[in-house]
Amino acid sequence: MSATRRNVLAGLVLLAIAIALPFVLPGRYLIGQLTLFFIWATVVTQWNLVFGVAGIFSLAQMAIFAFGGYATAMVGLYGGWNLWLALPVGALAAVVFSLVVGLACLRLKGPYVALLTLAIAQGMYLLIITDTACFSMEGVTCRNFTGGTRGLAKYGDFGFREWLGYKYMAFGDYYLALGVLVLATAFSMFLMFGPIGAAFQALRDSPEYATARGVSRFKFQMLVFASSAFFTGLAGGVFAGYYKVMGANTLYLSPLLFLLAMMVVGGLGRTWGPLVGAAALMLADEGLKDFPEYRFMGIGAALVLFVMLWPRGIVGAAEAIGAQLQKRRSELGGTSTRQH
Amino acid sequence: MDTTTQIIISGLTLGAMYAISTVSLSLIWGALNVLNMAQGALLTLGGYAAYTASAALGLNAPLAILLTVAAGGLFGVAMYALVVRHMLDREGFEVNVIIATIGIGMVLEAGLQKLYGAYPIRQPLTVEGGFFLGNVYVPYNSVIIVLTSAALMLVLAAVLARTRMGRAIRAISQNRDAARLMGVPVELVYAQVFALAGGLSAASGIMLSTITTLAPTMGYDPMLKAFIICVVAGLGNVMGALYAAFLLGLFESTVQFALGVRFAFISMLVLVIAVLIWRPYGLFGRTRVTKL
Repeated sequence: MSATRRNVLAGLVLLAIAIALPFVLPGRYLIGQLTLFFIWATVVTQWNLVFGVAGIFSLAQMAIFAFGGYATAMVGLYGGWNLWLALPVGALAAVVFSLVVGLACLRLKGPYVALLTLAIAQGMYLLIITDTACFSMEGVTCRNFTGGTRGLAKYGDFGFREWLGYKYMAFGDYYLALGVLVLATAFSMFLMFGPIGAAFQALRDSPEYATARGVSRFKFQMLVFASSAFFTGLAGGVFAGYYKVMGANTLYLSPLLFLLAMMVVGGLGRTWGPLVGAAALMLADEGLKDFPEYRFMGIGAALVLFVMLWPRGIVGAAEAIGAQLQKRRSELGGTSTRQH
Repeated sequence: MDTTTQIIISGLTLGAMYAISTVSLSLIWGALNVLNMAQGALLTLGGYAAYTASAALGLNAPLAILLTVAAGGLFGVAMYALVVRHMLDREGFEVNVIIATIGIGMVLEAGLQKLYGAYPIRQPLTVEGGFFLGNVYVPYNSVIIVLTSAALMLVLAAVLARTRMGRAIRAISQNRDAARLMGVPVELVYAQVFALAGGLSAASGIMLSTITTLAPTMGYDPMLKAFIICVVAGLGNVMGALYAAFLLGLFESTVQFALGVRFAFISMLVLVIAVLIWRPYGLFGRTRVTKL
C-alpha cells in the first residue's frame, strides 16, 4: 500500500470515528471540548504549512485567526449579515491580512520573521484593548468598533438551536468544526504532496538553489501565507460563532504558545503531526484542569523537552522507532534465511 | 520648550531602560546566534528578586541590587548549561533554540506567578521625589535610571574592549571556528555571555519595575520593544543596539505626546517594518553575502 493511500485510509477511519462520537459520548462537555479540539487542530494544520513545510517561522497565526474571527463578527454585527454568509467574508479578510504580514516579512529570515510577526500580533492586541472611541450606541452604552476589552457580542450565531433544538445544538457546532478541519487537512495534504509542496520544501531546504532553478520565493511565500490564512480565518469565524463572544483574549500569548506546543509536540512538518500534537496537548490540558497554575508551566516544559530530546515530535519519534523495528526484522529475516 | 524638555526626559528614561535589555539580547545573539525569548521572564525575575531581597530579607538597596544581578546571572548560566548547551550545532538550531527559550520563559514566569501571586506589587526600591527643571517635573527615579544605565553601559563597553573575556566574546562573535582554533575556550565564553546578559537583564528588570509595578507579565511588552530595537539596529550589533535604544525611546515619547500612548507601539512597529524593507539586516547591520 502506498504512503498516500495509507494516509487517506487512516484519515477516513478517523473521520468515521469522529462522526460517530457525539452519539456515544456522555454529556455535552466532551462534545464542546472536541469542538474546540477541531478548531485548534485546524489552525495548527495551517500553521504547520507555513512553519513546518515552508520553514517560515511566523508567529502571526493566532493574529490571523483572530482577524478572521473579528471580521466575521463585525460583518454579522455591523452589516447585519447571517453568520453563515459572514464566515467566508471573514476568511477572505484573514487572507488579505495574512498577505500584508507576508509582504512585511518577505525580505526577512529566521528569527527576524518570528520577532516581526510576534510584534504584529501584539500591536493588533494593543490596538483592540485600548480602543475606547464610541462607534455606535447600544441603548445608552457606547460600543467601540473593535469591542475594546469587553469584546464583541450579539452578532448572531449559526442558528443550530432553531434547527436542531436545545438538545442537539452542540452537535451542529461539532460537525461544523469537524467539517472545517477535514477540509483544512485535505487541503494541506493536497499542498504538501503536490508540486506546490515540493516548491515549499525546495525553498526551505536550499533557497539559493531553488531560486536558481526558477522557483520564485515571492510567489510561493505569498501563496503559503494566503492559502494557510483561509482556513485559519474560517476557524476564527467558527470560533466566533461557537462562543458568541469574540474578544482580544484570542491574542494573548498563552493560546499562541499552546498551539505552538501542539505543533512541536506533534512533529513539525509531519503530515499527522498537527493532529497528534493537538490531541496530546488537549488531553494533557484536560488532565491539568484541576491545577490551572501548572498549565502554563507544563506547556513551557513540554516545549523545552521536545525541542531538546525529540525535535521531530511524537510522529517523528514513532517513525524512527518504526524504521528501527523494520530494520531489526529484516536483519532477523536475513540471518534466518542464511541458516537454512 | 517645556514640552520638548518633557519629551526628551521621558524619551531618555525609556531609552535607558530599553538599552540594557537590548544590549543583553544583542550580546547573546552576537555570540551564539540565540534569540533569547526568555528575556521578558528574566526582566520579571530581576524585579521580583529585588523585591524579595529588599522587602522580605530587609537588605539595603545596593546589596539587594547586587544580589538580584547575581540571581539573574545565575539563571542565565543555568539556562545555558541545562538547555542551550545541549542544542548547539544540532540541525535546526536557530529555530529550535527560540522555541526552547520561549518554553524556559513560560516556566520561569509561571513559577514567579506561583510564588508571588498574579496581583501587582509595588517595587520597594522605587525612589520618591523629584525636582523642577523650568516648569517640568523630573522624578529622581528617572535620573537614577538614566545614570545607572549609562554607568552599566560604560562598564560593559570597558569589559568588551579591554578584558580578556571581552576580547574572547568579540572574537567568537566575529568567527567562532577561528576563535576556537586560536584556543578560545568557546564553551566557557558562552556561559560567561549568558551570565553577563542575565545579570544585565535583572538590573534592567529592577529599573522597569520601579516605573511600572511588579507583575508576572511585566516583562513581555518591554521584551518586544527591545526586540524591535534589536531588529532596527541589526541583531547582534551591541553598539548599534545602544544608539537605537535611545533613538527609539525618544521616538516613542514623541509619538506618545503627539498621537497618544495608544499608538506608541504600533508606530514603532510601522517604523521597524519600514526600516526592514529598506535594510533587511537593520540600520547598523552588515549585509551578509551568501556564497553558494
